[in-house]
Amino acid sequence: MRPARPDVTSSAGLVGGEKGTTVKMASPKTLPKDAQVMIQILKDMGITEYEPRVINQMLEFTYRYVTTIIEDAKIYATHAKKSSVDADDIRLAIQCRMDQSFTSPPPRDFLLEVARQKNQTPLPLIKPYAGPRLPPDRYCLTAPNYRLKSLQKKVSSSAGRITVPRLSVGAVSSRPSTPTLGTPAVQTMGSKVGTPVSLTGQRFTVQIPSSQAPSVKTATPSTPGAVQNVLINPSLIGSKNILITTNMVSQNSSSDSGSLKRKHEDDDDYDAL
Amino acid sequence: WLRCRNHSEWFDYEMARSVKCCGCRQCNISFSSIVLFIVLSVGGEDQPDVSVVLSAYSQQGDPSLYQVYYSGLKKFIESVLDCHRAELSQLFYPLFVHMYLELVYNNHESEAKAFFEKFSGDQECYYQDDLRVLSGLTKKEHMKGNETLLDFRTSKFVLRISRDSYQLLKRHLQERQNNQIWNIIQEHLYIDIFDGMPRSKSQIDSMSGSLAGEARREANKAKVFYGLLKEPEIEVPLDDEDEEAENEEGKPKKKKPKKDSMGSKSKKQDPNAPQQNRIPLPELKDSDKLDKIMYMKEATKRIRLGPETLPSICFYTFLNVYQGLTAVDFTDDSSLIAGGFADSTVRVWSVTPKKLRKVKSAADLSLIDKESDDVLERIMDEKTASESKILYGHSGPVYGVSFSPDRNYLLSSSEDGTVRLWSLQTFTCLVAYKGHNYPVWDTQFSPYGYYFVSGGHDRVARLWATDHYQPLRMFAGHLGDITCTRFHPNSNYVATGSADRTIRLWDVLNGHCVRVFTGHKGPIHSLAFSPNGKYLASGSTDGRVLLWDLGHGLMIGELKGHTDTVYALKFSRDGEILASGSMDNTVRLWDAFKAFDDVETDDFTAATGHIHLPDNSQELLLGTYLTKATPVIHLHFTRRNLLLAAGSYNSQ
Repeated sequence: MRPARPDVTSSAGLVGGEKGTTVKMASPKTLPKDAQVMIQILKDMGITEYEPRVINQMLEFTYRYVTTIIEDAKIYATHAKKSSVDADDIRLAIQCRMDQSFTSPPPRDFLLEVARQKNQTPLPLIKPYAGPRLPPDRYCLTAPNYRLKSLQKKVSSSAGRITVPRLSVGAVSSRPSTPTLGTPAVQTMGSKVGTPVSLTGQRFTVQIPSSQAPSVKTATPSTPGAVQNVLINPSLIGSKNILITTNMVSQNSSSDSGSLKRKHEDDDDYDAL
Repeated sequence: WLRCRNHSEWFDYEMARSVKCCGCRQCNISFSSIVLFIVLSVGGEDQPDVSVVLSAYSQQGDPSLYQVYYSGLKKFIESVLDCHRAELSQLFYPLFVHMYLELVYNNHESEAKAFFEKFSGDQECYYQDDLRVLSGLTKKEHMKGNETLLDFRTSKFVLRISRDSYQLLKRHLQERQNNQIWNIIQEHLYIDIFDGMPRSKSQIDSMSGSLAGEARREANKAKVFYGLLKEPEIEVPLDDEDEEAENEEGKPKKKKPKKDSMGSKSKKQDPNAPQQNRIPLPELKDSDKLDKIMYMKEATKRIRLGPETLPSICFYTFLNVYQGLTAVDFTDDSSLIAGGFADSTVRVWSVTPKKLRKVKSAADLSLIDKESDDVLERIMDEKTASESKILYGHSGPVYGVSFSPDRNYLLSSSEDGTVRLWSLQTFTCLVAYKGHNYPVWDTQFSPYGYYFVSGGHDRVARLWATDHYQPLRMFAGHLGDITCTRFHPNSNYVATGSADRTIRLWDVLNGHCVRVFTGHKGPIHSLAFSPNGKYLASGSTDGRVLLWDLGHGLMIGELKGHTDTVYALKFSRDGEILASGSMDNTVRLWDAFKAFDDVETDDFTAATGHIHLPDNSQELLLGTYLTKATPVIHLHFTRRNLLLAAGSYNSQ
C-alpha cells in the first residue's frame, strides 16, 4: 500500500504555480491502477485537458479522505463496542465529515426567506460629512496588532517639553484582529511621563510647551493625512485642558468634525479597558 | 389516518382507497404510492429538509414503464404538425430530467441508467453539460449534496407554448389515460400559455438554454427606471478659483448663484429615470466636484467613435503570471490598474509616470508644516514611492477587483469568502466583509461610490455599504453560482449573471427581481450596461454576446463571432461601440448604435414578447484584433475613448 505521507496542503484547485504541459497521459499501462481510475473519472466528467499533476492531486486527496473516514469509523466502532468496523460506522463517519468539511450553500427557499426579511428594511440614510465611511472600529482591520511596553521613566521637572507617548490610536489591543496600519510614534523628547499612559478611548497626554506653537499631530489611521484632534486627559495632567484642532487640508475639513464625532460613537462600541 | 408526505395533510386511508387517490386536496397521487406512504409514515419522525424537498419524487408509477411513457410522448410529438412540433419539443428535456431524477431517487438504479442511455442522445446540444452532470448521478445520496439539482427540482421549469399547441398536448395526454406524464407536467413544469402564432425552432432556441427554462412573462413586466440620474450642476471655472456657483454644467461662465437652480432649466424629470432620492446616495465632496470638472474637461477632448473611426487599442499584458491572473480593473480616469491573482495577492500599478505613494507614518506626519501650500504633496512618503504596490490579506485566489470612483478605495473578492476594502492612500486593508461563506466570484463598486455588490457560489448577490459590516440587501433567486455582478449607471439596479445561464436585474430599493433574461447556453461571465442605461450586453462561455432592452425586457440582438468564452464587455463612452474580449485571444468591436437602431423601428409584440432576431452579426462587426497568445480579461475605454485591454500572456 501507499506509504504514509505527511499531510500536504495541496488540495487546492487545478491551477499550478509552475508551468505544466497539458498533454494527455502517454502510457496508461504503466500507471498504477488508482491513477488509471482517476483518468477514467476525468474522462467521464468530460475533462479532456489537464496537467499531469492533477492526477497526483486527486490521488492524494482521495487517500487523505479515505483514511480520515476509516479512522473516524474505527473510533465510532470502538465507541459502540463492536469488534470490527461495519458499514454503519462508515456511513456515520461520512455523514459527520460531510457536515463538517463539505458543506453546501443553504437551500433556495431558506435563502429566499432570509432575503425577503433583509430586503424589507429600508436603505439607511447616509450621514453627510462623515469622512471615510467605514464600519465601527471593531469590524475594521485598522487597529494596531501590537502594544508597546510601558517605559518607566522619571517625570521631568520642567513643564515646557513636549511628550508624545504611545499613540496607539484606534481600537485597543484587546481586539481579536489583525494586521496593519498605524505606526504610532513614540517620541519622548526631553521630559518623560511618570506613569504609563492608559489607553482609554482615544486620548493622549500632551504637554504643550508655552513657547512653541501647537503643531502636534497624531495620525489616526483611518483618516490618512487628516488627524488633528488631540484630547487631553485632564486626570493625567490636571492643569490644563487643551483641545487642539488643526485644519490641515480643506477637503478633509469635514472629516475633522466627523472623526471627532466618530470617536464618540465608537466609544459606545468599545469595551472598557 | 395517514399523513400526505408532500403537504403534511391528514387523509383517511379508507376513503383514499375508494377514490384511488390521496384525499389531500393538493396532490393527486395514484394508489400505488399510498402503500409507500404507509411504510414511511410508520417509521417516520421528522426528516431533514432535504428529504422533504425530495419527497415529491415519491413514486409516480411503475419504474419499468417510464421508458414506455417517454417513448409514447416522443411518438406523439413527432406525429404532430410541423408548426407545433418545435414548441412541444421543449417538453423533452425537462421531462427527461425529472423522470430520470425520480428513478434515481427511488433507488431504481438500473432502470435509471437504461432510461438515461436510451434518451439522453435526443436532447438538444446545448444541454450537454447538464446531461454530463446527470450521468454521474446514479444514487440517491448523490442528489443530496448537489444544491443546484435540488433547486432545479423545487423550481418549476418554465415553458412558453402557444394555446393551440397546448390544447393538442392536453387532449392527447388526457384521452390516452396517460396520467403519469400529465402528473409530472403539472407538478414540475409551468406552462406559460400565450395566444398567437406558434414559435419557430430558431426563435425557441434563441430564448432557451437556461436551467429553469424561459422566463415567465410576468417576470419581465415590472417597470424599470433605466434612465440616468441628473448630473449635479457644477460650474467649470475658467481660472483655478474654486468658487461654486449654481449654473448649467459645462458652461464655463461665472454667474451669481441663483435661488432655484433645479427645475429652472429645460431638464424635466425623465419619466424613465428614478427619482434623485429613490435610493440614498452620498453627497458630493469637494474632491468629487474637482473630479467631475476634470471629467468634463476630458470629455470635451473625447474622440467621437463610429464605424469609420475605430478606437485605438492599447493592450496591457501581464507577464510571468502563468495563468494566475484572475481579475483586473482600471480606475475611471485610467491612472491605476489593479490585478487580482491566484496567489491571493492584489497588486496595484500606476499607468501614468506618476508613482504610487502612500501616506507618511504618524511620526513623520507630525513633523511637516501644515500651513504650506503643497501640504497634500508633503503628506505623501517619497521614500517608498514605487511603480506598484502589493496588497496582502486574502487567503485564496482573488476573483474580483473594483476601484471606487473617487480612487480612494479598492475592493477585492476572493475564494476565501470575504470581500476586502483596501485604502489606496495607505495601501493597507481596512475592512473584511464576511457574509458569503463560499467563494465570491465578482464584486463591483457603485458608480457613485459607497455601495458595492458582490456575488458568489452561494447563489446570492449581496449589496453592501462601506460603513455597514453586514449586507443591506440580499438578492436571492438564482439557481446557480453568480458569476458576474454589475451596477446600472444610475445605481438603482444591479444585474447579475449566473451559472444557471440567466441574467437577473434586481432593484436596489426593495430587492425585487425585475427582469429575468434567458437565452445564453453557458454560464455568463461578463455584463455591460450601455452608458444611456437602456441596454445591457452579456457574454458567456458559448461565445455569443446578447443584447437586452431593459425597458421592454426583451432580447434585441445577438452578436456571433467569438469562438470561446467572452470575458470582457465594454461600451464606449457615448455608447457607439461595444468592445468584447474573449478567451480566443481576440478583441472584437461591434457597432452598438446600429444594433440598437433596428430595435427602435420594430413593432414589439408586447403580449408574446417574441422578437425575430435578424442575423446581422457580420454587418455589426467592425473589427477583429488578435493578440499573440493572450486571452482578454478586461476592457476599459478611457475618458477620451481610447480602448485599454488587459490579459496575461499564456505561453502554452
